[in-house]
Amino acid sequence: MSVVPPSIMDHAPQVAKNFWPVRLASIVGAVAFAAILDQLVKSAGSGLLAERMVTLAALYVTLSVSLNLVNGITGQFSIGHAAFFQVGAYAAAIFSMQRSPAGVDPNLWILGSSILGGLAAGLAGLLVGLPSLRLRGDYLAIVTLGFGEIIRNFANTQAWVGGAYGTNVAPKQASVGLAILLAIVSIAVCRNLLRTAHGLPFLSIREDEVAASAMGVNSTFYKVTAFVLASVLAGAAGGIFAHTEGFISPRSFGMDLSFMILTMVVLGGSGSITGSAVVAVVLFYLPEALRDAPALRGPVVISAIVMLIALTASVKRMDNFHGGERKRQWLVGLVPAIGGSVVLGLLLSFVPDLAKTNFEADRLRMVIFSLALIIAMLLRPQGIFAHHEFSWDWLRSRLKRRTA
Amino acid sequence: MTEPILKLEQATIRFGGLVAVNEVSFSVAKGRLFGLIGPNGAGKTTCFNLITGVYAPTSGQILFQGRSLGGTKPHRIAHAGIARTFQNIRLFGALSAVENVMLGAFLRHRSSLAGALAFMPSNIKESAELRERSLHLLEVLGLADFANHRSRDLPYGKQRRLEIARAMATQPTMLLLDEPAAGMNPQESVDLQDTVRRIRDEFDMTVLLIEHDMKFVMNLCEEIVVLDHGEVIAHGGPSDIRSNPKVIEAYLGEAV
Amino acid sequence: MGFEVLGLWAAVDVSTLPQQFANGLVTGSIYALVALGYTMVYGVLRLINFAHGEVFMLGMFAALFASWWLGFGPNMIAGAQGNPLILIAMLTFAMLVSGLIGVGIERFAYRPMRNQSRIASLITAIGVSLLIQHGGALFLPVSPPPSIREDVNPYRSNVTWQILPKDGGLLEKVKLAQINADRATTALNDQMKAEGVNSEFDLSPASQPLRQEKSTQDRALRDAQQAADQSGVNVTLSQGKVILMLTTLFLMIALRFLVMNTPIGRQMRAVAHDFDSASLMGVNVNKVVLFTFFVGSALAGAGGMMAATFQGDAMTTFSGLQYGVKGFIAAVLGGIGNIPGAVVGGILLGVSEVGVTAFGMSEYKDIIAFVILILVLLFRPGGILGSAKVEKV
Ligand SMILES: Nc1ncnc2c1ncn2[C@@H]1O[C@H](COP(=O)(O)OP(=O)(O)OP(=O)(O)O)[C@@H](O)[C@H]1O
Ligand SMILES: [Mg+2]
Repeated sequence: MSVVPPSIMDHAPQVAKNFWPVRLASIVGAVAFAAILDQLVKSAGSGLLAERMVTLAALYVTLSVSLNLVNGITGQFSIGHAAFFQVGAYAAAIFSMQRSPAGVDPNLWILGSSILGGLAAGLAGLLVGLPSLRLRGDYLAIVTLGFGEIIRNFANTQAWVGGAYGTNVAPKQASVGLAILLAIVSIAVCRNLLRTAHGLPFLSIREDEVAASAMGVNSTFYKVTAFVLASVLAGAAGGIFAHTEGFISPRSFGMDLSFMILTMVVLGGSGSITGSAVVAVVLFYLPEALRDAPALRGPVVISAIVMLIALTASVKRMDNFHGGERKRQWLVGLVPAIGGSVVLGLLLSFVPDLAKTNFEADRLRMVIFSLALIIAMLLRPQGIFAHHEFSWDWLRSRLKRRTA
Repeated sequence: MTEPILKLEQATIRFGGLVAVNEVSFSVAKGRLFGLIGPNGAGKTTCFNLITGVYAPTSGQILFQGRSLGGTKPHRIAHAGIARTFQNIRLFGALSAVENVMLGAFLRHRSSLAGALAFMPSNIKESAELRERSLHLLEVLGLADFANHRSRDLPYGKQRRLEIARAMATQPTMLLLDEPAAGMNPQESVDLQDTVRRIRDEFDMTVLLIEHDMKFVMNLCEEIVVLDHGEVIAHGGPSDIRSNPKVIEAYLGEAV
Repeated sequence: MGFEVLGLWAAVDVSTLPQQFANGLVTGSIYALVALGYTMVYGVLRLINFAHGEVFMLGMFAALFASWWLGFGPNMIAGAQGNPLILIAMLTFAMLVSGLIGVGIERFAYRPMRNQSRIASLITAIGVSLLIQHGGALFLPVSPPPSIREDVNPYRSNVTWQILPKDGGLLEKVKLAQINADRATTALNDQMKAEGVNSEFDLSPASQPLRQEKSTQDRALRDAQQAADQSGVNVTLSQGKVILMLTTLFLMIALRFLVMNTPIGRQMRAVAHDFDSASLMGVNVNKVVLFTFFVGSALAGAGGMMAATFQGDAMTTFSGLQYGVKGFIAAVLGGIGNIPGAVVGGILLGVSEVGVTAFGMSEYKDIIAFVILILVLLFRPGGILGSAKVEKV
């Protein structure tokens, strides 16, 4: 029997004596942090690329933390989060088309775009969520998947927003500060929710919807609330995204993006805000890093894939063994797995066509990605962080143990 | 003590061809310890599901405090003052024991969701209050030491008690317990009788319970309804039921 | 707005509706085949098999390779004709490959996850789907997107059914108009000969009325012809598409027989009814699940083969996406877990898509699927034929 590991809910929060000064200070602190980071990135001299990368990473954090609210905390299954990101981005684009941004401070303009994007996406979320969330089960998955595809196809056919080609969005500017602030807000909102009793109805729906309703939880209300809230945050991120790129087209909002966000949530550990945020950053930079990696030969790729699969199988097999036997089984499992795939790779290199084939890392990106997804699920279905959260207490106790 | 708080009138539900509950009528007086018994598959749990709105009756009526519950959603019924436990335990497994109870207590919350998102003082205070109240209920049910354990990890008997604590936290006027003593050893079972009696006396609740353990029911309940094949076959005090030939036959029939 | 809608109606030629309906049936048949796989798997496992669209896509590729091996490779010199045997071989191969891939996915990706949360198995399903799409693109020939050679399919000619004959009175008018038009043409030609010019535009100003008369009569003939054509109703489909529908029908009857009248079908129904009880009653659940995956995937493979052969769809590894989503929507429309429902949903979806196109709103083709889905979920959450199941508590 285990005591629940330190989670946010673990100890009842108390109202600090000087609550309002502290609150004010933390808001000022967050804004200052974003502003300083903004300046740092801009003055680092690495140019526009760095600004864009940091902004996008922050937007991904927002997307993944907001989806976590639906999938991880409320236990629903939304798989078309990119659609709300897209709605936000197009709302911003249309707004910039209708009203000229000339003469307005770009930061202010983008803030407005972001709010508008959030509202538009929230409305879309309500339209999609209300019919599908009344029902139990997987309907949300279907509807969000369908909605994502359809909104994208729709944008493809609408010439006035650029159709399949896309459209320019002015002003083009990577708003590092705004994006980081939005990420902070997303994290704060979720964390606050979980620190008060109001988080419980959301969690209880995830755990057992029937029991939750028997205890008086209006499950439709909470599910729709979570869904709309997540849509608003994604839409706000979309608004910032449109201006960061200065150009949007339906292609940027495909299923790939939806699945990427979903993966961030699941790999992070469904329900863990920390996990969603950390994995979002890692998974965002990983493919970028792979982009410039050298091409790989066919046999290498195949044997690597085989090795991964074999390793997974043998690690999975470990669950059946304990104690000394476990150590022996490690060898029995790993050695053939590694050896076999190396031999396979050597053999395959004699196949002339295959040996000549080069796979660009960029093309392999999604393959590696999907393999990582499957393997992570097979080995650790509860996600990397499970439902743990980062807390200073945890860090302190960890450090103490280290030094002791 | 005689005005009925809950009244079933010809309540009926069918699942396809099966009539799980057939024109069942009985009423429960306020403050009673009321038992609902019958062999396996008699339709007892289904009765609970009808009362708590999980299923809507195919025909017939259910009145709670004089108002019809027909077609009311489960969460509304909980607000109206009926709380229940489940035969196959349905705790919020990943949450700690006290969090489970807090969710029950949350039913009577006053602070706003928007405030919670902004972490406002009123929400913080209320959360602390709910926690205090929940810890107190855990104490009543003898679970104080397990407050911060994950509910999934508790032993079976404790999980059953935790379900009762969670239901009580909603501050119901009527408590429905589905086989609360199942899987408990004799000592735990006797302790539970005391607890249930105490709940009725101290918290002023009406208790309707399903139980297979005859000793438990006969010792505890003041009034009993017996179901068989979805129909009421007997209704009366424990001594009447014990000597009722129909009841004996129904239970013997089960043993064959 | 209302005015525009009226205008829309006016733009629709009612006599083409049966034709549109037939086209809808063809698309709908394929959706139905895909939907069946979703519904069967959902029925036994309560799992959305996200990789089902990819199974369909691999069925297309399997059919492509089969056609290559049977002599219809990309570099073949034109002229050879396919025959029914080749088509049957392609269909069988596609069904077999898809079926086995479905079985493999179940065994290695879904079964290990069966005790995990539903979200975990859904994520695995998505992972498998992405892996097949992107991994397939590394090894399968995808650019330019290949398609099965036309000449494999000997059934390319059209068949026409007359549903309503043309109006007799209107046909008379056509004859009359024809005579008038001929007369005007002759007069014009005579005049041209008389003046010795080659083009009617070189005629003298005095003869211009003759030219106008001819064009007036020609227009009258065209109008009369159109009116007569619209009074009759025909449906024209290529033979291949007819075969496609018949094959679908056959597969569905076979499936029905399999599910209702065979021991394994009975076991499938038992598992679908109650997974745990069935396994307690001694049903070999794993075998039944594998079999279900095999049958469902084979049906998708058949759909893939026919889409590639009779509709000439070009294929990439992402071709399954569209059909996967549509098939899934179809399954939900009909009532997920309900076999006849999948067929009804598929046909309904196919027909409404073509209907939207008939109204000249082809850009909204994909949206209609979604609108119908939302409407059904709002008013009949269990689907058209399904009943909203009550969960045992
Ligand atoms: N949702 C449902 N769908 C179909 N049949 C159901 C459903 N719920 C209950 N039943 C059937 O109704 C009958 C009565 O079930 P119920 O659970 O009420 O019995 P019970 O008296 O509680 O028995 P036990 O003592 O075993 O708990 C059973 O035959 C059961 O299979
Ligand atoms: Mg029962």
